[in-house]
Amino acid sequence: MIHSLFLINNGGDLFLEKHWKSVISRSVCDYFFEAREKAVEPDNVPPVIRTPHHYLINIYREKIFFVSVIQTEVPPLFVIEFLHRIAETFQDYFGECSETIIKDNVVIVYELLEEMLDNGFPLATESNILKELIRPPTILRSMVNTITGSSNVGETLPTGQLSTIPWRRAGVKYTNNEAYFDVVEEIDAILDKSGTTVFAEIQGVIDACVKMSGMPDLTLSFMNPRLLDDVSFHPCVRYKRWESERVISFIPPDGNFQLMSYHISAQNLVAIPVYVKQNISFFETGSSGRLDITVGPKQTMGKTVECLVVTVHMPKVVLSANLNATQGTYNYDPVTKILLWDIGKLNPQKLPNLKGSLSLQSGAPKPEENPSLNIDLKIQQLAISGLKVNRLDMYGEKYKPFKGVKYVTKAGKFQVRT
Amino acid sequence: MPYFGSEETVKELKRALANPHVQADRLRYKNYITKVIRYMTQGLDVSALFMDMVKASATVDIVQKKLVYLYMCTYASDKPDLALLAINTLRKDCADPNPMVRGLALRNMCNFRMPGMPEYIEQPIVAGLRDKASYVRRVAVLGCAKLHSLQPNTDIDGSIVNELYALLRDPDPVVVVNCLRALEEILKDEGGVVINKPIAHHLLNRMKDLDSWAQSEVLTFLLRYRPRSDDELFDILSLLDAFLQSAHAHVSVATLRLFLNLAAAHPAVQADALLHTSAPLLATCGSASRELRFAGLCHVQQVMRSQPGLFGTHYKRFFCGYSEPSYIKFRKMEILVELVNDENVALVLEELRSYCTDVSPELAQAAIAAIGRIARTYSEKCLDILTGLLALKQDHITSAVIQTFRDLVWFCPQSTAAVCQTVEACVDNPQDSEGKQALLWLLGEHGEQISSAPYVMEGYIDGLKTELSSAVKMELLSTSVKMFLCRPAETQDMLGRLLHYCIEEESDMCVRDRALLYYRLLQRGVEETRKAVTGPKSDPSMSVLTGRQEEPISLWASTFNTLGPLSGRDLCLQTDIISASEQPSSSAEEELLPGSKDVTLSSPNDTEEEISLSLGPPLSHETFEKMWLDLEILHRQTLGFPRPKTAADTLQAALQLVKIQTLAFTPGDTVPWKAYLYTRGTGTLILAELLQEDPDEPGSEGSLVVSVKQQPGNQHTIRGFVAILKSVLQTLHFDRL
Repeated sequence: MIHSLFLINNGGDLFLEKHWKSVISRSVCDYFFEAREKAVEPDNVPPVIRTPHHYLINIYREKIFFVSVIQTEVPPLFVIEFLHRIAETFQDYFGECSETIIKDNVVIVYELLEEMLDNGFPLATESNILKELIRPPTILRSMVNTITGSSNVGETLPTGQLSTIPWRRAGVKYTNNEAYFDVVEEIDAILDKSGTTVFAEIQGVIDACVKMSGMPDLTLSFMNPRLLDDVSFHPCVRYKRWESERVISFIPPDGNFQLMSYHISAQNLVAIPVYVKQNISFFETGSSGRLDITVGPKQTMGKTVECLVVTVHMPKVVLSANLNATQGTYNYDPVTKILLWDIGKLNPQKLPNLKGSLSLQSGAPKPEENPSLNIDLKIQQLAISGLKVNRLDMYGEKYKPFKGVKYVTKAGKFQVRT
Repeated sequence: MPYFGSEETVKELKRALANPHVQADRLRYKNYITKVIRYMTQGLDVSALFMDMVKASATVDIVQKKLVYLYMCTYASDKPDLALLAINTLRKDCADPNPMVRGLALRNMCNFRMPGMPEYIEQPIVAGLRDKASYVRRVAVLGCAKLHSLQPNTDIDGSIVNELYALLRDPDPVVVVNCLRALEEILKDEGGVVINKPIAHHLLNRMKDLDSWAQSEVLTFLLRYRPRSDDELFDILSLLDAFLQSAHAHVSVATLRLFLNLAAAHPAVQADALLHTSAPLLATCGSASRELRFAGLCHVQQVMRSQPGLFGTHYKRFFCGYSEPSYIKFRKMEILVELVNDENVALVLEELRSYCTDVSPELAQAAIAAIGRIARTYSEKCLDILTGLLALKQDHITSAVIQTFRDLVWFCPQSTAAVCQTVEACVDNPQDSEGKQALLWLLGEHGEQISSAPYVMEGYIDGLKTELSSAVKMELLSTSVKMFLCRPAETQDMLGRLLHYCIEEESDMCVRDRALLYYRLLQRGVEETRKAVTGPKSDPSMSVLTGRQEEPISLWASTFNTLGPLSGRDLCLQTDIISASEQPSSSAEEELLPGSKDVTLSSPNDTEEEISLSLGPPLSHETFEKMWLDLEILHRQTLGFPRPKTAADTLQAALQLVKIQTLAFTPGDTVPWKAYLYTRGTGTLILAELLQEDPDEPGSEGSLVVSVKQQPGNQHTIRGFVAILKSVLQTLHFDRL
């Protein structure tokens, strides 16, 4: 299925290759480099590239291209999702997924790739099981290893492979039994010049961290389950019960996992937490412009907006910015043409404002396109959709677990047009 | 840098690995081995170290083993004689008490790609198939496939195949799926693994235990199983129902594909499955990964070919974000064009209008072309926007707008007057050859409505010497001649100059020939030229026919969830290529999808290209009657919808457009309703009768029935004729709804 994998960095250097069947020459990547050249920006490289004998399916993540070589007909979504899973596994193991870190841990990377695929077919991809086959590197362990000379590999086979429930290993034991749930919602929105919503939706996930002994059977219920119309669950969730009773009933995997993800697109349900008043204009003569941005709270349900950051992609002709921020710091990068204004906490009494002049390349015509603003923010203790967990019940075990729910709202692709 | 001084590095490593002090210190030894691997991955040839590495494989440290195995697999084919030395160690490891070591050794032994290997690995593999640890069984099962690929020309080992079929009942789900994968590879030449009823039902029952990757693959394998009865079919479908909304997009899409193929005879089931999957598909279109979003969009596009209404209310999900890659933006625009309706047209156009000023010229031009497509239905609003764009005076925008105008005038002649007005007011002309050709075509075709046309053309004729593109010169010649025919006084002089230049001085043969052709034509006289040059213009009623139809699902179901739609337009070509490159299942797939070939034959595009109908000399009523009575009915088909409720002359006009003559029909709403038609195509005369029984009468479905007679017989033409007739009637029918 997946014949070979090449990792290529932003500069076009091939720094890692792995073949699961016969070795395919690196020259196959020339087709990729050709496409890369044509696309100018690394973002624009098409995910599927056809060559006379192969298909190249690639993803671009953290400035690395994961290029897979395919020789037979495959479902494209399958390969793309699998490549993302590889990247996620690296992230999970090493904390980040960059070229340096992959090169530093090249041995573990090869071990992982070897276990994840055999003969081109996916084998073990659950993080739970992989971590028992190959232990992730930690500072402490690498120190201990240096002293004792022991290795990173589990000596026994993961028991999870023998359990009747594939996602949970048998005989789990904890002294403190606890279950935490994080409800994380991201707002994707496009606002137009006047502040009206062109498009808005919420992408939500519930991440869980369950550390409980034995085989607990959990039931999670919501105050307002009708809000969710488009959900997808971890394979452990019993779908029939959700359909009939709107409760989530499951035997959890051990440790961290994503319990469910959902999607709310009805526009009247999506509250927009901040408003932006902006005025960016360029003068016909004198090669200069003005910028004035104010951010204020809109529908925050009484919570504070934190980590507020405004990013503006300026037109190419803008050379520098001479601005004055009433709160936070700003920075204009003349190479990438990105103006970054880090505001921090939003104070409703004194609205943050960024104001000043822009200087343009002299002699250049007034830029045609208007820059657009990207907003990043975070609201603690609030799920913007109003989703609330009602209660968590446990069956099957005797002990009393400690339970906790946390809510966070973030901005996803939140964009204001000018 | 690895490529410089490589010999030095290799020597140094060799010295270090052979050093007994290093060998004694486990950690230092391993560090050197890691270094070797690192150089290997950077493309440096370290095969000279093979001997030393083989020695290093005799260790209890699993990580070190893994590294050495990795090294050996890479270089085994270069150093087969040395690799044989390592095999002993590996075979010993296959009997290790630790299942992890057993599996590892077996897997790597199978990965050695060198001659003579099979005799060493066959026995460990067979032993591995019966190992008590599932981890080893998984490896051994795939090992069978690798063993087979090592000796491609030998006969298939029946005992191994039987063993693999037996292992399909293994308690470990991964072993089950690996068996399918291995059998598929081994039996490639015989059409892949056979899915009979017990296997299919066994797999269906195990679906829940599999991980998502395996689910997706099993669903693909199940495509080749045909249920015996409808009851069985519905049992299968209800088992799979939950997977339509799986958390993994690839599983839900694979399930949908299976649904569409299995339920080919039950359109209602198919529609229901599409409805169920629309939410996961939309979620994929909004996923965080841009590659997944792209794949999602491609699948949405395919679904929309049959069910354009499914995503209508979600059109805002297809608005482009600022930082999205261009390949996503192109797809989104294509989808938006399809989703336009009376309610959202204003918003969609406003959105597309903002893409027209995108920094990337390709995107801007695609956005303009998209507006042009919408203009075929909502011409007024779009013309306003396009005219506004001309005011921006950007070369690439002007050129794209003019090209859009050209296409618009052809498809939607009622907009001609407005377009001509705009073109006249437009001051600056396009600079690239595509745009120039479009402008010249507009001037030539509608010169009488654009008062400044001769002056614009004169500019081009004066600048002829500096013009590089011969295509523009050819267009200029045609335009000048057309213009001369409608406004001779203004153009005669410049046409003379143009012809003179093209005949005497032009170096491009094609242009010169074209000029000579026009010159000789003009010598024959103006009337003759007019007949030859000004053919019939496009007909307003043609827009009825260009309206997009809903395609049957079977047309795209076979390529759904394959690479084809993601990598380009020409779908058939794509699948051909991939099947040419040793794809075993495609031939089997074609058998599985009966009728897919027939369907492609009758798709409207194909037929219109393949057969051309003509009217020829009219038939009298008597001749028709005589022939109708003499000939046999060659083809009879129920069209599946009632007769269009249009007025008689509209029907007649529409049929005449596709060169089908109406001889007679029953007036008004009388039942049964009949019509007699005839046409000529590829040397035969075709007679046809359309019949609609009384819909209230028992036994009739209220649907049109067409009966065709022909002289002389030619099945191919009949199929083409019926397809054309059907598409016309269908368009008229849906047009009235």
